[in-house]
Amino acid sequence: MLKRGLPRWLEWTMDREQARRAPFLAHSPLFAGLPRRLLGRLATRFLEKAYSAGEVVFHEGDPGRALFVVVEGTVEITQATPGGEHLVRTLGAGDAFGELALLDESRRSRSARVAAPARLLILYKTDFDALIDGEARIAVVVMRNLSRLLAAYARSNPVVVSEPGPGPGAAEPT
Amino acid sequence: MKPSWLVIAGVAALAWLARGLALPVFLAMAFAYLLSPVVAWADARAIRRSVAVGALFAAIIAVLLAAGVLLGPRMLTEASGLVDRLPRLASQIDTGLDGAVRELFEAAPVFRRVLPEGGGWARQFVLNRAPGDPSDLFEHAGHLFLLAILVPFFAFFLLRDMPRIVTAAMDRLPPQHVETSVAVWRELNSVIGRYIRGVVLDGLVVGALAAVGLWALHVPYPLLLGAFAGVANVVPFIGPLLSAAAAGLVVLLTPGQGLAGVVRVAVLFLAIKVLDDTVIQPFTIGRSVHLHPALLLGSVVVGNHALGVLGMIVAVPVATVLQETVRLLLEHRRVLAQRRWKQG
Repeated sequence: MLKRGLPRWLEWTMDREQARRAPFLAHSPLFAGLPRRLLGRLATRFLEKAYSAGEVVFHEGDPGRALFVVVEGTVEITQATPGGEHLVRTLGAGDAFGELALLDESRRSRSARVAAPARLLILYKTDFDALIDGEARIAVVVMRNLSRLLAAYARSNPVVVSEPGPGPGAAEPT
Repeated sequence: MKPSWLVIAGVAALAWLARGLALPVFLAMAFAYLLSPVVAWADARAIRRSVAVGALFAAIIAVLLAAGVLLGPRMLTEASGLVDRLPRLASQIDTGLDGAVRELFEAAPVFRRVLPEGGGWARQFVLNRAPGDPSDLFEHAGHLFLLAILVPFFAFFLLRDMPRIVTAAMDRLPPQHVETSVAVWRELNSVIGRYIRGVVLDGLVVGALAAVGLWALHVPYPLLLGAFAGVANVVPFIGPLLSAAAAGLVVLLTPGQGLAGVVRVAVLFLAIKVLDDTVIQPFTIGRSVHLHPALLLGSVVVGNHALGVLGMIVAVPVATVLQETVRLLLEHRRVLAQRRWKQG
């Protein structure tokens, strides 16, 4: 992020991890449209954690307190049905899940399990709220993107279905 | 004995041996919380933490040197003037108190059983607090010097290495606890950070208002009394009363000020308190603390009993942390119970 404006002899002052994180977040549909300055501020609020294959990120019914972004690896979103666990979608690098936790702390509608060793970025609602208190533009952009995701899901799922599963065009925010 | 218990016992023994470091580490944490927004600003611009923290500390040293050059001589003069006058001031207070006690005894002789006559309390108070011999003075100065070295030292490394510490801790946490347990810590982190930064900013504003107000009222030692008002403001309820009482006492012992001067100072401190509660605190501390007023006062009293003045200062954040931890852990337990009930 800083690299473009820095002379070569000052490049040692750059934090490469942070410089990598902001452009990475820019590719997520949830943060699309945020200017680089705000992406940089947002990136500082994320924590990072490594998960092994098979580990559960959260269970269906847990209170949602954080948004997750897959940096590397694979995460499966599943839903419990009378017939067993039903795979809803599989996520890879750059995908976000658990977005609804940024709106409220309602219960998770799905479970998330790591399918292949993964590193996830985690944004807690507390940190997001603290950030948007001082930067209302982040709230506007993220909420607009979240509304688009919800609208796309609602359009592709016009009626309440009894069987779980994604609609033809959009994935359900978790 | 399980190995985990051995580790816990080892850590507890180490903590006991290093208990002398508790105060510098606590102050360093508070200092780090205070400076963290500046480091976060540098983080957002992808500036390496060691560079940002180093530059910040260099700037702080420069500001302190400048403040020392500009305000130091004046504050030193006020402080040494006050120290020189202390024994005489104490005698004046004792004379006044003795007169008041004599009048009280004449009006109500029953008080002779309760109060001693001519106690010389103020002189005793001043003499008891003066260092007994030079070695005491050196010991106090040594402690202060050690704090002045250790607090910035620990704060520097806390600020520089915190993301690495957090990532290492997160990677060792069981995944099922990450969302709920870390959410508790993030919430507490947010509350404590806002509280500490708010209290310091509040103290600075209140101290500046008190200094300017006292200077306008021609009260002696305005800088010293303003600085005391700012520091004392950290202690809820009692702090503002103490700073007003100190200023009132100085006015009382200043020739030409009289009772009218005391009333003016009381009005000034009352106005500052009202302004602080209605305008300054909502901006600085905001809603970071949700303690019931009774719990707030109770925590200050308990803090005083446990650790004296330091206990009163840390009482509110500690009580807030305990309250939030208990609330969130109870909620976590309820969720786990619901999950077990669903599975079973």
